[in-house]
This record gives sequence, structure tokens and C-alpha cells, in this order.
Amino acid sequence: MGEAFFGLNVAVRGLFSAQRSLDIVNHNLNNVNTPGYSRQQAIQVASRPMALADGTGMLGTGSEVIGVTRIRDEYLDFKYWSEAMSYGEWGVKREILSDLEILFNEPSDSGFTAIMSNFFDSLQELAKDPGSAAVRSLVRQNAVTLTRFFNNLATKLEEMQYDINHRIQTKVEEINSLALQIQQLNRQIYITELSENTANDMRDQRTVLVDKLSKLINIEAYEVVVGYTPDGREDKHFVITVSGKALVDHFTVSTLALEQRDAGKKVNREDIPGLYEVKWADGNKLNVKGGELKGLLDMRDGNEGSVNPDNGLVSPNYKGIPYYIKKLNEFVRIFARAFNEGYIDLDGDRGFDADEFGTGHASGYGHNSDLSGIRFFTMTGESRQPLSTSDFLDGASEPEDIYDVYEKITAKNFSVSADILDDYNLIAASDEAGQASNINVLNALLALRRNADMFSEGAPEDFMKSLVTTMGIDSQQAGNYSDNQKIVIDQIVNRRLSYSGVSIDEEMANLVKFQHAYNAAAKMIQTISEIYETLINELFV
Amino acid sequence: MRITNNMLINNMIKYIGNNLTRMDKLQAQLATGKKIQVPSDDPVVAARALKLRTDVAEIQQYQRNLKDARSWLEITETTLSDIGDIFQRVRELIVGSDSIESPEDLQATKNELIQLRTQLINLGNAAYAGRYIFTGFKTDQKLLDENGNFLVEVYNSEQISYQIGLADSINVNVLGGDLFNNGADITDAEVGNPGKFIQDMNDLIEAFDNADYEAIRNMTQNFSDNLDTVLRVRADVGARINRLELTMNRMLNDITNFTRLMSENEDVDMTETIMNLKNEENVYRASLAGGARIIMPSLVDFLR
Repeated sequence: MGEAFFGLNVAVRGLFSAQRSLDIVNHNLNNVNTPGYSRQQAIQVASRPMALADGTGMLGTGSEVIGVTRIRDEYLDFKYWSEAMSYGEWGVKREILSDLEILFNEPSDSGFTAIMSNFFDSLQELAKDPGSAAVRSLVRQNAVTLTRFFNNLATKLEEMQYDINHRIQTKVEEINSLALQIQQLNRQIYITELSENTANDMRDQRTVLVDKLSKLINIEAYEVVVGYTPDGREDKHFVITVSGKALVDHFTVSTLALEQRDAGKKVNREDIPGLYEVKWADGNKLNVKGGELKGLLDMRDGNEGSVNPDNGLVSPNYKGIPYYIKKLNEFVRIFARAFNEGYIDLDGDRGFDADEFGTGHASGYGHNSDLSGIRFFTMTGESRQPLSTSDFLDGASEPEDIYDVYEKITAKNFSVSADILDDYNLIAASDEAGQASNINVLNALLALRRNADMFSEGAPEDFMKSLVTTMGIDSQQAGNYSDNQKIVIDQIVNRRLSYSGVSIDEEMANLVKFQHAYNAAAKMIQTISEIYETLINELFV
Repeated sequence: MRITNNMLINNMIKYIGNNLTRMDKLQAQLATGKKIQVPSDDPVVAARALKLRTDVAEIQQYQRNLKDARSWLEITETTLSDIGDIFQRVRELIVGSDSIESPEDLQATKNELIQLRTQLINLGNAAYAGRYIFTGFKTDQKLLDENGNFLVEVYNSEQISYQIGLADSINVNVLGGDLFNNGADITDAEVGNPGKFIQDMNDLIEAFDNADYEAIRNMTQNFSDNLDTVLRVRADVGARINRLELTMNRMLNDITNFTRLMSENEDVDMTETIMNLKNEENVYRASLAGGARIIMPSLVDFLR
């Protein structure tokens, strides 16, 4: 017989171990639905054995719980962070491109194709009856509808750019807020872990925050060993970098800042004023390579990587809002030039050639009019009123200067000229004054619809078809990427849940297991108690 | 693989979500009758849809142009037929003049000729929808004054053509000079003078006035020539109307074909889509039923 009451001590340890494990089961069951929670386990070991004095060996002293650990595969976290950034980026692009598709409203019976068809159909009717006031007024009305279509589209695109700019602001604020929260958790975790504990729940919370951050911007997050603590463990600091520069470094945070671009610092000529430049708060340039922020920046500034001739700034290499505004501007300029001046870029150099001027609206005469040189399409002036031919040309008379005047037209200011709006009889059909049914000029205008040399994409309707298709393909691609990323992310989330998630069945089984252990330990106490009962009360009575 | 309760729930939500996405797509197709709602659904179909819309719209415009061209040419043909009738009558009067002996009867025939001349002048000023048909580009001006003298210069190059196809146009007008001036242009110098038709009428009326039987007989050949001119122009107009009708038939085929292509390109096959929807619905029901069974029980339910 060994030390008195030794057995009772061992049994009590058994009670404590089982109770500790039951506490952990309780905690796990409580957190079965907590986002990012990883299940915890007691680290239970056999307690230090006792050497028996008579040299018969070591006697076990029961069990003890020396720690609580979380079951977590950190590789899956790194994997999640690297995949979440492209999920964020393509998700945003898909969303904005879908909005764009709705905006262009094709294929439909009220989109560009229909409006263009109506315009040319009314010109056909005019060719059959050039003197008819009803048809002339119809031509004018359809031309106004055509110009309004572009004005409207351009305005909507600018509104979208403005909205995206606003969303960029929100995202940057969100990133800064997450960075601050992570920094605070870093401090708490570090202090907690100084005393050999593992801050399981706070680490889980931090991972949730980093998960959120990784969707917003490209990050790399890792713990670096910076030295050793006095008790010889590794001293780890948690660091998050964005394109190589630390956003969070242990207890310090570098926030991002927004700065409105000056008029001279526009990335694209087409941009609306006051867009935000995202940079580091300390003034350094920020290179965004992924995440929702990248998606938003690409959509807001993307113009196929073209260089702004005004200041040499390079746009992101993606077809964002400015690309579509640019294409619409290109369309109205070239179309107006062809319609008014008969200018067709035959050699495809996208530049001025004096011999490429042909028969256009300006070479014709209106009904009962000996006025020639009227431009059908001009633009709105500073007072937002449509300009007349003379105001539009503003003194330009050489072909080269006239060519350049059209560079001022944009989709937003495109308009039917004031001359035509005031008097539809000025719509030119004839190449000689006073010939009511001469439609030589009108026929030249009608032929423009099928003129495949007008744009590098072909005829006017081919141009728009190509633009809509480009948008459709980009949108489809963004959708596919985003779907694929979603599958990858889901897979990682599933693996995380598989590894770290709480299984109710498992916990219930454990509950029973530990309950039995507890009961057994309690039974042990009872037994020992009975032994003492026998020894003390019954043996010597 | 270790399966946890939240995995089951997440996966169930994901699968049911996928089911609903597919059903939503089919539902949109059934509701709109179109395979695609936005270009990204299928950019190739979208591009073709745009192209076909343009083509169909153009063909419809050409069909309207064809109808208008035919009306114009039909008016012209009627006018030409009337002019032919006039010359036929004139020839009968010339032949009949041999047997007329009394000056009163000769005068009566002359009066009829004057009437015919007025009618000829009116026909020369025939109009279609308010536009004079023989004056080339100057459709707002009359060809002849009340004496049958030319009012405007008309060159044979003043051909009004309507577009009736992609690279196809038809000349709808007959030029005044071609008909009234023996095929020649009506130049500035000739304005104020009568053309050959009217001149011949004037000469014939004068011959009747003078009871110059010799001169009257000599006019026979002139009016045969005039009739030939009218017939020549009529044949030309007839040929043009023929061509219009052929083109119209072709356009009718084209529009049927293009509409069919358009439908094949973008319309949904209803039977197939309904079958697919039904199929999806079954899958959806199955996944709901499966999901409901799988997330319900846990060990808790069986521990007593």
C-alpha cells in the first residue's frame, strides 16, 4: 500500500480532465455556426509518473490537460487568400459589365440597330419624295432620335464612372478599417501568446478579417519570425503586404488614401473630372493587382492600356467605361464626317487625306434652296444649344481644318445642326439647286449605310455590332472567371470546414465519451472511498 | 473526407442555388421566347441577331421602295397607253379625212384634233402624288404650257432611281424629251418651243384648217413614227415593271428566309425548353427532398 489518499488524487485528476474536455465540447457546440471558427481539442497527457521507492517501477498518476489547441490547416488559409482576390476582381467586373449590357439594350427592337434603321429608312422615303414636308420632318425627327441615343448613352456611361468612383472610395475605407481591426487583433493575440497560450479564438477572428481583406485587394499575409522570446520560443509578427509594401506590420498600419485627380492628371481624356487616385497615405504609389478594388479600377479607368496623349498616363489594360465612351466618340466623329463631308478613310490610316473627301451632305442643296455647305450633324455648344454650320466650322475652310473640327464632337455633345433643326428644307438631297427630285446627294448618303470603308470594323452597323459583341464576350469571360473562382473558393471553404468545422455528431460522441470518463473517475472515487470505509471504520471496530 | 454539418448545409444551399439559376434561365427563355437576354448569354448569337435585324429592316424598306416604284411606273404606263390611244385616233382621223368633202365636216374633225391636242398636253403634265412625271428632276414644274410648248429644260440624264436592293436600283421616270421631243434632250434653247408630238399635232390641225388633203396624207408617216415612239417607251416601262415584279417576288422569298434565319438564331424551341424546365424541376424537387432529409438528423436525435 502506497501513500494514503494517492488513489483519490488520481481519480480527481480524471474528473478534472474529463470536465475540461466536456468544457471544450461545450465550446465547440456553441460555435458550430460561428464564421471562421475552428474546432478545439484538449491536449491531454498522462501526468508525470511516480517512481516507487522499492524500485518496482513507475506508477502512473492519472491524466492532465496541458493545453487547448485549434484544429486548423493554415495552408488552406493562404490558398483562400490567393484565390479570393481574383474572385473579387472578376465578380465586380461581371456585375458592371452586366449593367453595361443592359444599358446598350441589344439585341432588341429599341436599341441602336432599330434607331439607325429608322433613320436610314426615313432617308429612303425622302429619296422617293424629296419635296415632302412630312418626310423631311420625319428625317429630322429620326436624326434627333439618333443623336439623343448617343447623348443618353454617353451620359449614362459617365454616371456609371461616377458611381464606380464612389464605390472605390467605399472599398478603400473598408480596407483601411479592416487593416485597423487586424492590427488591434495582432496586439491582443501577441500579448495573449506571450504567456505560452495559443489565442485560438482571436486567431480565428483574425483569419475572418484577412479573408474579407483578401477579396478586396491583393494581399500576402504571413507570420515572420523576428527573434526569440526570453523563454526561447519564436517571436512571430503578423504582416500583411500589398504589392510588397506592408499594410499591417505587427502593431503598425499604413492606410490607403484617396486623392482627387487634377484636370491635367486624367488617365483618359474621356474621364469625368474629380476621379480618385488611390495611393498610400504616406504618398507612395499603390500598385493594385487584384481584388474588388482592381476590378473597380479596371472598369473605371480601363482603356486597353492606351496612353493619354495629354500627359502620358497609361490606362489599365482592360475595356472599361472609358473604352466604351471612346468608341462611341469615335463612332459619332467618323459618322458625322462621312455624312457631312463624304469623308471616307479609304487607305485606313485613320488620318487626314485631302483626296478622301467625297460627296456628303455639305455638297448638296436643300429643297427650294440655293444654299449649299450645310452640315447635317454638328454638336452642342457651350450653352448646350446645337451649333449651326458656321458656328461649328468656326471659320475652318481648308479640308484639313474641317477634318480637325470633327475631333471636338463627342457622343455626349453630338447633335443635329441648328440649321436643319430650324428648317428641314435644308436637308440636302440634290447636287444642283432648284431640282426638286434630284437625289444624287441623298443616294450618296444612303450608300454610307453599307460603306465598309467607313470604320476599321466595317459599315456603321458593323461597328456597333462589333462593340456589342466585344462587350458580350468580355462579360461572358468575366462571368466564367468569376464562376470558376467561385468553384475554387467553395472547394477551399469546404476543405476548411472539413478540417476545422465542428461536427455535431462527433461532438455528441465525444460528449458521451467524456461523460463516461467522468462517471468512471467518479466511480473510482466511490470505490476508493469504500476502501477507506472498510479500512477505517470496519477493520478496527 | 471528414464531413461536418455546416459543409452539408453549405453544399445543399449551393446545389439548390445552382438548380434555381438554371431554372431562372429557362424561365426567362420561356417568358421572352428568346434564347438570349443579353449579349453575354451567347455573343455569337447576339452578333448574328444584330446583323439579321439590319438585313430584315433593309429588305422591308426595299419592299416599300418597290411598291412605290411600281405605282409610279403604273401611272406612267397608263399615261403612255392614253397617249398611244390619242395617236391611234389621230391616224384614224387622217385615214378617214379622204372621204370627207364638206368643209363643215373637216372643221368638226379639226375640232376633235384640237381636243386631242389638249388631252395630249394634259397627259404630258401627268403627275404622281403631286409630282410631274415627265420633267426629270424638276418634278415640281409642268412640262408643257397650255399651248404645248416646253416649260423646262429636261435632260435625259435626269433619271430618278429608287433603291430596290443592296446594289440594285431602278429608274422610275420617263423623261419628257425621250417621249415628246423624239428622244432628244430638251435644252434651254428649246424651252418655249413645242416638241415633235405637239408640232405634228399643230401641223396636222393647220393642214385640216387649210383643207390641204395632200399635207394631211403626208402626216400619216409622222404619226406612225410617234406611235412607235410611244410603243418603244411603253415597252421599256413594261420591262421595268416586269423587273420590279420579279424583284418583289425575290424580296418576298428573302424576307421569309431572313425571318426564318432570325427565328432559328434567337428564338427558343418551346417544346425543348419546356422539357428542360420540367427536367430541371424534377432535379430541383429531388435536391430539396434530399437536402431536407440530410440536414435533419444528427446524433442528438438518437441519444436518450
